[in-house]
Parts: sequence; C-alpha cells; structure tokens
Amino acid sequence: MRYRETGNVHKDFHLATNTTIKYILTEYGMSFLREVFRRTAQRVYRVIYEALKSGDPQPWLEHMSYFFEREGGIFEVHQRKDSIVFEVKECPAVKHLIQRGVPYSVDFCLQTSLLNEAWAKDSPFDICTVLTGVGRCYQIIRRRE
Amino acid sequence: MLPSDHYVRFYNELFKMLEEIDHVELQKYWMEISRLQETIIGPYIERAGLRGMYEYWDRIRIEENCDAELTLTEDYFEFKMNKCPSLTKAMDNDAGVFEYYCDHCAGWIEPIMKKYGYYCVYDIISRDEPRCVERIYRDREKAVEYLKGVKLLAKPYDDSRL
Repeated sequence: MRYRETGNVHKDFHLATNTTIKYILTEYGMSFLREVFRRTAQRVYRVIYEALKSGDPQPWLEHMSYFFEREGGIFEVHQRKDSIVFEVKECPAVKHLIQRGVPYSVDFCLQTSLLNEAWAKDSPFDICTVLTGVGRCYQIIRRRE
Repeated sequence: MLPSDHYVRFYNELFKMLEEIDHVELQKYWMEISRLQETIIGPYIERAGLRGMYEYWDRIRIEENCDAELTLTEDYFEFKMNKCPSLTKAMDNDAGVFEYYCDHCAGWIEPIMKKYGYYCVYDIISRDEPRCVERIYRDREKAVEYLKGVKLLAKPYDDSRL
C-alpha cells in the first residue's frame, strides 16, 4: 500500500473536510469539487487508480479496509462472484462530525462518491456509492459488462 | 471516506487548484479554515491565553504525531517543529507538493492571533524542510525583536505584518 500511516489519528481533519466541501460548493460549485477529488483519486492515489485501470481492485480494497479499521469504523466486505461490496455500518468520519456537534449533511459523503467515481474512470469497473443511512453506505465495485 | 490521515494530501491538491485561479482565492480558503480553527482553538485561548495555546498545540503534537518541542514563558508560547507530519506527507505524495504549502499554517493561525490581540511570528525556515518555529507574543515590541533572527518569515496575506 502506497500510504500506510501509523500512530495516532487526528480526526478533526474530518471537520476540515466538511468545511472544505461546503466552501467549495458555495464558492465554486460541483464541477470544481468533482475536479479536486478527481485529482486526489488519480494523482495522489495514483497506485490505486493505475491498478484499477489494469483490472486489479485489491489496492482499492486494501486502502479502504486499512483506513476504516484504523479509524475505528464498522464495516464488512462481501466478496461476490461479480463484485466486491464494501458495506459501511458506521462511518468514523460521520461519527466524529456528530460527536463534535457539527450538523451532518449528505454533501459530506460526496468525498466518497466523487473519489469512487474518479477511481472508476477509464477502468473496467463501476464503483457505486449507495447511501443507506447516516454514516452507512454500500460501496460496490463491479466489473462492467 | 477520505481518511483523516490524507486530508493534507487532498488540500495540497486544492491549494494548487485555487492558486491556478488566483492567489487571492487561496487566501480566501485559508481564511475559511481559520474560521473553523477558531471554533476549536478559540476556547483554549479565551480560557488560558498563552497557556491555552500550549494545551491546544500539545494535543496536536500527540494527535498528529509531531516531533515538536513546546515552550511557554511569561512573554511567549513557542512551537518548534522538528519534523512536520503535514509537510512530510505532502512531500511523500505521488501528486507532488504545492510550492507554498507551508504558508497555509500561518494562513489560519495569524488571523486568530490578531483577533485575540497576540503577535505571531512564523518562521518557515525553508519550504523544502519539514521544520519550522512559531512564536506567539503578548507584546508587539518583543515580537518585532524576535523577528530580526527569522530565516523565512511566513506572510500569508498581503497585509501580514506585526
């Protein structure tokens, strides 16, 4: 894995992500937000993106599992014949927001859907993000027909 | 979820995009982050002044895994970063580090200190090395005196001055 942080976790960065998403949407709009997450997905996480393009979803799954585990999230991975379902039962980012008394909005989850959208671009996969509740979602990676 | 560990690499990309529009857009974003940070550090300062800053940054030292030394005197609070985890991550990054990455720190700190009546001297030292020294003074004259020995002063805003 390209980035494997260890040690303590400063979860207040989730507050900054929340502020940043709101700020970008208000000041520059959705296309700008999409572009910053595209650059993050494809340039910062270049290894994950290149692996997906070559047909390998494992670095994506390893990244997701490692950081959800590290932040104390509750999740399950369902490996199926034609897909991998990353089921988030308790998102640590959303949980932290709520614990700090910051109102949650579904816009906060754009970080997930836009990263997944950009990772899937030019790869043989679709990655769908389906919100199922506050701090809960399915992220489904499936090879295109 | 963008891991909290990776927020700095994310906003490193945002810094580049805002700078592509105009440097003023980057400054406006730093101000927005400063407003958020004020909600977090503000209560520490209101309760205990320089000691409150010490308490806040000591928490940051632990949570962000900083190699840093904190000093509190009658005159100032100093945060001496020996190895900055933020710049270290931004440099250890397949997307490359934004040239003026370090300025964001003073960009959020300076407006808060001004608001509370303190004088912040932020020595970046070098943009290529993950270390810096931040000193916050009660007294302007003492801050001005300290300024004389600074290697690379952060001036995040056009009107940045003591």
